[in-house]
Amino acid sequence: MEFNVLIGGEAGQGMFSVELGLSEILSRLGYPFFATKNYMSRIRGGHNFHMIRISEKPVHALSGKPWDLIVAMDRAETERRHKPFLREGGTFVGPERVGQIEREAKGELQDVTATSAILTGLILAFIGADDAAAQSAAPDGTARRALAMGWDFAARWGLAARRSFAPQIGEHCKLDGNQALALGALLGGCQFVAGYPMTPATSILHYFSSVAEELPVHFEQAEDEIAALNMALGASYAGLRSMVATSGGGFALMTEAVSLAGMTETPVVIIVAQRPGPATGLPTRTEQGDLNFVLHAGHGEFPRVIFAPGSVEEAISLARRAFDVADRWQIPVFILTDQYLADSLQIMEGRVPTKMLKRELPVAGADYRRYEITDSGVSPLTYPGLSEARVEVDSDEHTEDGKITEDRGMRVRMVDKRLRKSEGLRKEAVMPARFGDRRAPTVLVSWGSNRLIVNEAVEVLRAEGISVSSAHFGQVYPLTPQMARGLARKRLICIENNATGQFEQLLRHELGLKATHRILKYDGECFTVGELVERVKGILG
Amino acid sequence: MDRQDIAWCPGCGDFPIRATLEKVLGGLPIPAKDIVLTSGIGQAAKMPHYLPHSYFNGLHGRSLPLAVGIKLARPDLTVIAVSGDGCHYGEGGNHFIHTIRRRLDITILVCDNKVYGLTKGQSSPTTDLGRKNALDPEGNRNAPFSPLAAALTAGAPFVARTFAGDPEHMGKIMREAILFKGPSVVDILQPCVSFNKVNSFAWYRERIYRLDDSLKDRYEAIRLSDDWGERIPIGVFWRDDRFLCREGKQMFRKPVTESAVARLLNTKCIMMR
Repeated sequence: MEFNVLIGGEAGQGMFSVELGLSEILSRLGYPFFATKNYMSRIRGGHNFHMIRISEKPVHALSGKPWDLIVAMDRAETERRHKPFLREGGTFVGPERVGQIEREAKGELQDVTATSAILTGLILAFIGADDAAAQSAAPDGTARRALAMGWDFAARWGLAARRSFAPQIGEHCKLDGNQALALGALLGGCQFVAGYPMTPATSILHYFSSVAEELPVHFEQAEDEIAALNMALGASYAGLRSMVATSGGGFALMTEAVSLAGMTETPVVIIVAQRPGPATGLPTRTEQGDLNFVLHAGHGEFPRVIFAPGSVEEAISLARRAFDVADRWQIPVFILTDQYLADSLQIMEGRVPTKMLKRELPVAGADYRRYEITDSGVSPLTYPGLSEARVEVDSDEHTEDGKITEDRGMRVRMVDKRLRKSEGLRKEAVMPARFGDRRAPTVLVSWGSNRLIVNEAVEVLRAEGISVSSAHFGQVYPLTPQMARGLARKRLICIENNATGQFEQLLRHELGLKATHRILKYDGECFTVGELVERVKGILG
Repeated sequence: MDRQDIAWCPGCGDFPIRATLEKVLGGLPIPAKDIVLTSGIGQAAKMPHYLPHSYFNGLHGRSLPLAVGIKLARPDLTVIAVSGDGCHYGEGGNHFIHTIRRRLDITILVCDNKVYGLTKGQSSPTTDLGRKNALDPEGNRNAPFSPLAAALTAGAPFVARTFAGDPEHMGKIMREAILFKGPSVVDILQPCVSFNKVNSFAWYRERIYRLDDSLKDRYEAIRLSDDWGERIPIGVFWRDDRFLCREGKQMFRKPVTESAVARLLNTKCIMMR
């Protein structure tokens, strides 16, 4: 049993408040849900809509099924766009009914914004939620009264328990993708974040600035993204694990400092939350169009690692790991996410791992050489002021003690030293996550945020008697031959939110894996499970 | 260090600046290990390589955000950003304004030779109008940037000018700037013997005069910073002892604890509305 609701209206009419209020109570009551949104780059007006899927079992994607309930906060646009996709026998709460709710919110509660909480109550009543439990989860007295009014409206309009089911979930946590990345960063020991606001990365910055009130971490709003990454490199040089978060346009400004991180071997984590480009593109929509950009960003040759988490769990674990990898190998590590994962709020089952990465603070002597040549390519790292060791770091090619050099032999030794790290990095690469029957002749290949949409599609196809499996790449660079195991003789269908199949090309180039088909989407919206199932069936015939 | 290891031209104004800075840093009531220099690119930006302290010699124009990151991460370190006029005022012009606004205890030293040296004689942000340079055969079309006025209007609480040909004055000003609690800007008039044939040591010596004391009024300081030509003032233009310097947070060696992260887990969603 599941229930799909869409709440549409103009920016500023309170749809997001419904999503936040509803998701909070659903989580408290133990209903698995998945919520995502489609919004315009404006503060008021236009047309935004929030989609929430509530289910008996955990869900991590939009189903693509017709809506069971549509709530229209606006006069006509929600009805025009979305009512054609209302399930037969589904419920449409239109502007007249919302107007009635608004009038009672004003009359009874002297607060028109309580409309959102009343609608929350109405939706909860619709799925037969326990009203006492829901009210006890409300933040305050007004919200409790508003929720109760929602139940009354549901009863009055004959909507109560229309689609009733019981909460099923045990221990869990409610997270959006950016919150998960920020949490993972904290677990990885991140204490310094610099950034310049840019959708869809901004909430990562908000997270750090808010936790900085209590924790030993700092967020600095930079004058531009150039400054942001340089600040993070300065903080990392001084001894704090550091990070920046931006989107493609901001990352464009950071690229010279990516190269600086490569040359100076300064550990740093860079989150690139993708949105459709080029240039300003579609500022609030989703895409996976910056893989090639991140892969090649920065002049010169130096090692890097790129992660692309496909779930909130993986966002936590890979963000945590990113700091460890960056620190141990003294390289820039990238995390590619996108608006879809960033803005999707969902239930994560089980306990969130809170094990912190511990770090040693190395102390060196007066004869310290920052760029000592070693077998692994990694030189001992220390920080200024800890001892008599001088930490001398240079963007020019340098000697082992960090002085400018133009010596040809030294140049070659330093290039080799830096690139030698790639060997070690390959040994500890994160293998792709496989799902479904491995004997199936077809494998759906994804990277980043499509992972769980693809996995649900695999399940739906299996139920229809079509056997496929999936392979999700949480590490998209470097790719290693071990990653190709079990994929070489399969029919590969590569699924990406871009127009050119960037990962499909990378697979071919790096591993010689040739996908026979691509399923690409680049209209700014995410795939739904239903849509993906149809497109796979279209290929398999 | 051998003379040939230093990348500057014989007679360069950077030599006396380096010698004076070494002396000043050695005489501070701060352990040498706690001093960190940042620099960008250019002849002056090579300065940290010739001094006995930790340094991060970064990219062109970016010495200041590096300094900001270091100071925020480690308030216990004394942070000095040293670069030239092209680096601080040109490529890094935006950082110059905003680093001052951050109210951190960072010293900004500018070796201002009014020309690009490393790239061989192009106009810099402080080059005089009409001056013929490598890329301006018909003369520089841009009006010169006024660094002191810019620093003053951006809110710098310590703004000074000194002269590479007067080591005693330069030493006094550098020391005062470094010990001042807050963002301090020192524009150092520095002759370039290879590419600036006008603003020579002799040219400056004929014109400069020392201010007796810092000015009492910021607007008076801005007005005076415009004086250029026959008489060129050097000294502390503005020093605001009531300035509230931003203190960074002590985070180094204080990692986030597991219990603190666990407490965060059920905090409210802070997605962008």
